[in-house]
Amino acid sequence: MSRKFFSGPFILILPSILAIGFVIIIPLIFSFYTSFTSYKLTRPDSLFNFVGLRNYERLIDNTKFWYAFGRTILFLAVVLNLELLFGLGIALLINKITWGQRTLRTIMMFPMMFSPILVGFQWKYIFNDNIGLLNNFLYLFGYESAIPWLIDKYLAMGSIMVAEIWANTSIFAILLLAGLLGIPRDPIEAARVDGCNSWQVFKNITLPFLMPFIFIALTIRSLDVGRAYDIVHIMTGGGPAMRTELIWTMIARIGYKDANMGFANAMSYVSIILSIAFTYYFFTKLVAARRDLGQQ
Amino acid sequence: MKFLKNFLVVFSLLTLPFSAFAVDENFPNDKVAIWGDFSGITLDVKLIGGAPYDPLYEVMIPIWEAKTGGKVSILSKKSHFELDKEIKQDIAAGNISYCVVSNHTSFATQYGDIYRDLNGIVPKDFLAEFVPLVLDHSTVDGRLVQLPQHSDVSNLWYIKSIYEDEDNKKRFKAEYGYDLAPPETLEQWKEQAIFWSDPPNFYGTQYVGKEEAITGRFYELVIAEGGALFDEGMRPVFNDEAGQRALQWFVDLYNAQAVPAGVLNYLWDETGLGFASGTVALNLDWGGWGAYFNSADSKIGGDVGLVRFPMGSGGKRGGWSGSHTYSILNGCPEENLEAAASLIWILTNHEAQMHEARGGKLPTMTRVWKDIASEMDAEGNAFMSDLFSTFSASMAEDAFTPPLIPEWIPFSNIIFPELQAAIVGDKSVKEALDAAAKETDYLMQDAGYY
Amino acid sequence: MKQIKKFAFWLLVLFLLILICLPGIWIFVSAFRPNPEILSKPANWIPDRWTIHQFTQMFSINGYVSVPAFKYLMNSVIISSVSTLIAITIGMMGGYAFARFNFRGKNSIFLSLMLARAVPGISLSLPLFILFAKLGIINTSFGVILVYVAMNVPFTIWLTDGFFRQIPKEMSEVARTDGCTRLQAFWNVELPLAGPGIGAAAIFAFLLSWNEYALASIITRTVHSKTLPIGMMDYLDEFTINWAGMCAIAVVMIIPALILTFIVQKHLVSGLTFGGVKG
Repeated sequence: MSRKFFSGPFILILPSILAIGFVIIIPLIFSFYTSFTSYKLTRPDSLFNFVGLRNYERLIDNTKFWYAFGRTILFLAVVLNLELLFGLGIALLINKITWGQRTLRTIMMFPMMFSPILVGFQWKYIFNDNIGLLNNFLYLFGYESAIPWLIDKYLAMGSIMVAEIWANTSIFAILLLAGLLGIPRDPIEAARVDGCNSWQVFKNITLPFLMPFIFIALTIRSLDVGRAYDIVHIMTGGGPAMRTELIWTMIARIGYKDANMGFANAMSYVSIILSIAFTYYFFTKLVAARRDLGQQ
Repeated sequence: MKFLKNFLVVFSLLTLPFSAFAVDENFPNDKVAIWGDFSGITLDVKLIGGAPYDPLYEVMIPIWEAKTGGKVSILSKKSHFELDKEIKQDIAAGNISYCVVSNHTSFATQYGDIYRDLNGIVPKDFLAEFVPLVLDHSTVDGRLVQLPQHSDVSNLWYIKSIYEDEDNKKRFKAEYGYDLAPPETLEQWKEQAIFWSDPPNFYGTQYVGKEEAITGRFYELVIAEGGALFDEGMRPVFNDEAGQRALQWFVDLYNAQAVPAGVLNYLWDETGLGFASGTVALNLDWGGWGAYFNSADSKIGGDVGLVRFPMGSGGKRGGWSGSHTYSILNGCPEENLEAAASLIWILTNHEAQMHEARGGKLPTMTRVWKDIASEMDAEGNAFMSDLFSTFSASMAEDAFTPPLIPEWIPFSNIIFPELQAAIVGDKSVKEALDAAAKETDYLMQDAGYY
Repeated sequence: MKQIKKFAFWLLVLFLLILICLPGIWIFVSAFRPNPEILSKPANWIPDRWTIHQFTQMFSINGYVSVPAFKYLMNSVIISSVSTLIAITIGMMGGYAFARFNFRGKNSIFLSLMLARAVPGISLSLPLFILFAKLGIINTSFGVILVYVAMNVPFTIWLTDGFFRQIPKEMSEVARTDGCTRLQAFWNVELPLAGPGIGAAAIFAFLLSWNEYALASIITRTVHSKTLPIGMMDYLDEFTINWAGMCAIAVVMIIPALILTFIVQKHLVSGLTFGGVKG
């Protein structure tokens, strides 16, 4: 068996496994180990100071961490749902336009060209309370006080969500548009002849057909949710008063600024599990939806 | 509408006062000169960057290279917070074989023993030129790990004309019952800030609102109010009455809208530029902005006054102080040490410090304090003379460093979100400080203080 | 009635276009304006002064170059294209293996590869840094390329796997009975058919490498390896931020990506869906 195993497929997959093993798995093993030590960046010897489960025990007691964790889940839930909704809307709209679609599609993908770090700076300036584009715009209409977009309890998180949604709705739009383009015409026309209205057609024919595409989009997006760190890091750095603190900004601060890497890596593991759970969930949904589609 | 209308007119001009300068390459005013033949040696360095820092490098490094035959290779040049992060990564990776690095007295203790003791590397007669107290602050565990380039401490800048206006004087007296004059106490500072405010056009004062910046500000107010961050056993005590009064001061100003709403996102550049835009009445800041505040590039040029840090109820003034410094790393090869010392010398010598002092940065060399004062007197520059006499008084009487312990930055990261929480009203002053004290207690226990 | 409906429809489209484009266009416009004009209050909506100062600064050959944008651009181009090329090649090999062979643990290997990709950059950055520093590949283009290859391989496998499965096995078999080797059959028959999927994976890989910040910010240190997103941070000083300069380097960063996307966008749509859904 071993000869067979080491032939064909294994050789073909080997480079991929090596690359991922080297760049992702080995570092993860190392950070897993450090999460059981009191490793401080500035004290290389502390790497061997084994503290057992202490970091994890503290994590469980740490209310700030769980707030950040909850906030991250909320953030992802809101952002992913809205992106899906807006992406669907844009896709439906562009699908109706027959003229200049290629240009429109490129325009639609415009925000995808923006590095997350740039998106952060861009929206930081738009939401600046003082000289920001948005407040300046409101002044035009005679609004006289400066709204502290990035400070206020609700607005701060909302502002970051707006930036995140602006940057990532494109990916949903382009994928769902692709799905719409592939829908066969016949069932829709048949339904119309049978007297279905637009909503019924959408609900009973278009949407089920789109489901796999929706899950593809969600899977692709869930691979990259961690990139929201760049945006938050630039816009607020998690502040003020931890109002926009997500699990990733917390890891970065505790790990690098406090140099408390052991504890930060324990947090990292929670964030890794979170990301993997999101991806896994959507991926299994996708596989199921594919199967359904195949049976139809 | 006019608030910070010209915020960024000021902004783009900022680089102008920080331009290159001319020096006599023989450094006639320096008693000590550290030259040598360093041909074939390349010094790897990491420096703090930015408009106020670059001119010194741009002038001094080429002179050094030409005279000694050595070469300087700048591996990175970035803001201090970024540099801090980078150095920590370098330590973790054992990647610290470069020679000279920018440092700061508040940061240096974190990095452990990666630095060489400069005693024995830098000649004694050069060290003798420095203010002894500042060298003291640069010493960790009896080792001189850094050589100070300039110091910072803050005093209160104000717009003169509004204080001289008769109408303002009358209105103020009627409302508060005492004569309008730049604040003597924290209480007066608060009252006057509220008096001046006309949001969103004009604000009474401002403060830096995040990270180590607000921690430091809170720290000096606690001292001014007669309290302390830690007791003798290094247990946190900042949640006592004095600490609460200090934090209440920030909260009151914020609630009265006497500071801009975005203040919790402000760091040094926002406050400095904000004051220069002429829309803030009172601004607590270091001397480094001084020449710029009073220049034609600032909206308030010629209209800037300066008073000592107002006194708190504890009868003390704030005086949070630190120095920007240079260090030599252990990883620097023996044969490069002399060259490294020479490079540090040219960046901190009399000529360099005089140049920096002309912009308002505070020298660390005893002789420069005298020389800059006489130079300004000779020029008849009353503003700068006043700047140096005010700041030399606070350096002598008020200045204190944060506790020089490795836990300073982690402590800051614990307390600043709590300070913010109290300021924006998520928590009461007492709740916020208690929470911070509890976490700090864990931090200090883990660090083995008690 | 129909007229009004049509009008409302176009109004909505226009509104969306503005919403999508405006924040981006603002960056483009800001790159050509002096700093005080961009961020003034009240806002200066219509630029009255245009300047290419930031660009001449970045690309100047003589004189003081504040930010060596050309070097960063070159690093970005090399790192992004080489890593994309490698990721596509080895990813395609993997995709082919998953599509054409049955072997033990196939599904779990496939899933693990996907999930490895989901690890957030911030969690990976430090251990990766230490590993690379020990191996002496910190601050080299090679190190960055390696990271991006690993990040892009799983997605490539996923897409190409879907494509290869759609191509009937018989086609390759026919070619082989005609005297082709397996490799020749792959090259002449299967590869061209999988084109759109490979194109889609390539553009995704390229955009990701082109824009990545969290990991590159840690493993690149100097002009030898810094890419454009990292170079952008050079405009952030101790006390100030040069917003016009940042916008200018952003333009340098966006234009190549935009052109590339425009060229391949048709394949992108079919490639993504076909590979993903039917697989």
